[in-house]
Amino acid sequence: MDTRFNKKILLILISLSALLILVFIVDLFLGSVKIPFKEILKILVSGESENQIWLTIIYDFRLPKAITAVLAGAALSVSGLQMQTIFRNPLAGPYVLGISSGASLGVAILVLGYTSHFTNQAVHYFGNWAQVISAWIGAGLVLFLILAVSMRVQDIMTILILGILFGSATSAIVSIFQYFSHQSMLKAFVIWSMGSLGNLSKSQLNILMPCIIAGLILSLLFSKILNVLLLGETYARSLGVNIKFSRIMLFISTSILAGSITAFCGPIGFIGIAVPHIVRIITKSVNHYYLIPGSILSGAIVLLISDIIALLPGSDSTLPVNSVTALLGIPIVIWIIIKNKKIASLG
Amino acid sequence: MYFSDNILSIENLSIGYGSADNISKMVFSDIILQAKKGENIAIIGRNGIGKSTLLRTIGRLQKPLKGNILVKGKDISHYTKQEFARLVSFVSTEIIRISNFRLFDLVALGRFPYTGWIGKLGKDDYNIVNESIYQVGIDDLKYKLINEVSDGERQRAMIARALAQDTEIIILDEPTAFLDLPSKYEIIRLLNELTVNKGKTIVFSSHDLSITLQEADKIWLMETNKIAEGAPEDLILNKDIYNLFDNSRMTFNIESGDFRLARNKPGKISITGKGIVKYWTRRALERIGYEISDEVKEDLSVQVDDNKKSPEWIIMRKGNKIKCNSIYKLTLHLRGIN
Repeated sequence: MDTRFNKKILLILISLSALLILVFIVDLFLGSVKIPFKEILKILVSGESENQIWLTIIYDFRLPKAITAVLAGAALSVSGLQMQTIFRNPLAGPYVLGISSGASLGVAILVLGYTSHFTNQAVHYFGNWAQVISAWIGAGLVLFLILAVSMRVQDIMTILILGILFGSATSAIVSIFQYFSHQSMLKAFVIWSMGSLGNLSKSQLNILMPCIIAGLILSLLFSKILNVLLLGETYARSLGVNIKFSRIMLFISTSILAGSITAFCGPIGFIGIAVPHIVRIITKSVNHYYLIPGSILSGAIVLLISDIIALLPGSDSTLPVNSVTALLGIPIVIWIIIKNKKIASLG
Repeated sequence: MYFSDNILSIENLSIGYGSADNISKMVFSDIILQAKKGENIAIIGRNGIGKSTLLRTIGRLQKPLKGNILVKGKDISHYTKQEFARLVSFVSTEIIRISNFRLFDLVALGRFPYTGWIGKLGKDDYNIVNESIYQVGIDDLKYKLINEVSDGERQRAMIARALAQDTEIIILDEPTAFLDLPSKYEIIRLLNELTVNKGKTIVFSSHDLSITLQEADKIWLMETNKIAEGAPEDLILNKDIYNLFDNSRMTFNIESGDFRLARNKPGKISITGKGIVKYWTRRALERIGYEISDEVKEDLSVQVDDNKKSPEWIIMRKGNKIKCNSIYKLTLHLRGIN
């Protein structure tokens, strides 16, 4: 908000962009098939290569996966940032508050319940959009429940515990669905719930990308209001903010961001809660005009790095990306809890 | 009825929770009050009587159950959100604790109703923010983080934020809560300055009776079922202020403007002596509950002797004399603690 700090933050954002490009290329470079670095750059720039297999690997596998990582990292971080500001709670995030579980429930009801009446072809035909929309509805429902509770209960810890309980409840319902569902459907769902960045087809990416961009734009449009929401509802209202409208729009944005990613990549934890804190630390700012771009860049970087770690460079096996993000994110969450043990503050 | 000089006019207002058709909790009803431009008005009353509810209703943070609130002659519900935000600002009791939040940024948020959708501050906005910071006297702290400054400094920043909002009316809910005594005085004095120098109309609630009675232009005294309105001195002289202490052991000393917790009266006592030493001796005796008598003939009397280098007190009780070299020792003797 003050020009004195703008230049420094701008420099940070430029550095983050450079780092993002770097880890993006490194992510393309890694995999079970070795492709020379020069060749990757050539494929990226010209879209051609003498080796048709390399071209296929890059274009059909590694590039969609890297783009998914960028989208997922950005989306989860921004949804986490928005929730931390709306709930004025440093520990809020799509995973912790059960939003991801809500999205899972939506997908579970679709995959295990509803579509069991249809043939596989029918699911394929309308499946992608149905999956995304059911995840949105599931995420939105949990968000709405948490909001309803947070209007009555002010205590931050109570809301967090309730979020965990909502998450557990939705998981329980998902288990019931699993128990009664058909074997083939069950397998499809379990594979989905293990989460992966690499399972997206190009057609799915074509749905995911516009959804995430729309969610991020919505978030950016509300930066000014997010800044005021830092002061809490009373001040926001007295400054002329339409609280109800803003909240609904921000919840739509959060549901789209967290729901879409959960729909296609499965639940990915701890990016949403940890990355906004990293951004606050490196920018030393609370202004959402910096925090949102910072979270987009940092979230993408962190998830790409997680993917690089998951690939276990030098070995042939890979780890689930969920586990890597958890192992990276949990120390940060512990640090936040210890730092804020007396007062709950943002950052 | 609207007089042109009443910037704020409250007509038959009922406040509380619920809606006009379904009142779940009525806090106060039939409120009629006026405020003129440039007045510093303090709302006092006991806990739970509805001070905050009244302030929040005036600030349009909750809906009135009945009646009207007029700002500049127009019902507040007829203003748009932005118009109202440029007319009335609010400082709540809530303590803002956010890391990485500089005082400048906090104050700058006050420009929200004036900036475009990006929220970027223009040159005028910068000037107003800096001026607001200067006015509340935290110029040297403006790049400090909000959790690095004292409670009083943070409260000044919150007031600067309201100033940056550039409204004619500023509402403050207990601006002196959580502050130490000098800060309490400084904050109320600052509010006074804003009314005098900037023509702001200020309505605030407070539990700090002595300070508000000394500094406010007008008091809205919320009693059980009515609100007494007037200059602090009026409320003292017409004894309305005593109603605050119905059913309580507090007493109000009409001569000094002090509040005292009533104690069991050990009896009457007379004091001889003069000057400032006598005054403070009298305060001490009142504190331990004695009724001060002007007659020298009382069984119990204290003689203040300040002719020597350090003053001495002599207790005379039925011919017995006890010398004390401090007020503390005097009170110990009188209370029978040795």
